[in-house]
Amino acid sequence: MTIIDSAMNDVNGQRPQTGIRLTEQQLRARRARSLAIALALGAFVVVIFLVTIVRLGSNVLTGPM
Amino acid sequence: MSVTLARVEPSIAGVGDYIALMKPRVMSLVVFTAVAGLMVAPGHIHPVIAFVALLCITVGAGAAGALNMWYDADIDARMARTAARPIPRGRVTPGEAAGFGFTLAAFSVAALGLLVNLAAAALLAFTIFFYVVIYTIWLKRSTPQNIVIGGAAGALPPMIGWAAATGGLAIEPLLLFLIIFFWTPPHFWALSLYRAQDYARAGVPMLPVVAGARETRRQILLYTLILAPLGASLWPLGYAGPIYGCTALVAGAGMIALALRVHAERDGHAASKQMFGFSILYLFLLFAMLMVDRISGGLFGHIAV
Repeated sequence: MTIIDSAMNDVNGQRPQTGIRLTEQQLRARRARSLAIALALGAFVVVIFLVTIVRLGSNVLTGPM
Repeated sequence: MSVTLARVEPSIAGVGDYIALMKPRVMSLVVFTAVAGLMVAPGHIHPVIAFVALLCITVGAGAAGALNMWYDADIDARMARTAARPIPRGRVTPGEAAGFGFTLAAFSVAALGLLVNLAAAALLAFTIFFYVVIYTIWLKRSTPQNIVIGGAAGALPPMIGWAAATGGLAIEPLLLFLIIFFWTPPHFWALSLYRAQDYARAGVPMLPVVAGARETRRQILLYTLILAPLGASLWPLGYAGPIYGCTALVAGAGMIALALRVHAERDGHAASKQMFGFSILYLFLLFAMLMVDRISGGLFGHIAV
């Protein structure tokens, strides 16, 4: 099997049998953690956006074009 | 050449475990006192900026809690009160807790500095440093004065709140700092009186373990005798009105009465348990009334105008 075949297998989800297999509980926990990180990052983006708007305020209209 | 890799089990830690690492109950008191600092500060702060400041302070406090649990995992495992924390229970590894704590600390300080102001960010960084390095790593294991000096970290949030609103500091937030600073020893020593065996087993030199219960009861009374007038002093000094003043006087009298009972107690821990519970109520009442006082004062001010 070539390297490309191996990569294709990985893409198709046919991973070699020797890797770590997560239990149902571990998969669930990982999914919950990933979701929490995504929500936290989303919230961070919203916070930066809101503060940018507040800091800019009406200066957007009065600044040089 | 063969390389042996340590087998690491994939994590089963849930979101709740990471929230527990942040010590939510401590965090709630930090937020509450920081809100008070923000509200009593003069001038105007945009509600969005105030919210962001509180969010950063909350996350910063959580980071300090996680780093505390990372360093103190060995102590926590030997104490009944803390044995169920995520690291002793094996839900989170110490390395994961450290990574979590350092990341949150860096984000919270950087965000506070960039989005609010540098003075508040510097104070938050100092608070996290003081709690983790000075209290957790150095003092907690070495001296019975650990919670006296370490209490400064818990007393700083109103000053951070004030700095977030004004960009500087003044006497008033310093008084709020002193109130929490003198509140901390009676609060924690009341707890340590009935948890002394726990602390002794974990090798933490809390005052009852090192100097005995009698000396601890005496020290609780001494600190409470300083705390009660200090708590009420904001009224005569003109920083708060009668709503706050009367509450501080009555609650302070309650604290002194309980401290006297703790001092007189020889067997059992009924009084010290009561003192521990009431001390939380005392601090809550003082800061809540300070905010009520400020809000009602503002309203009356508007009506007068």
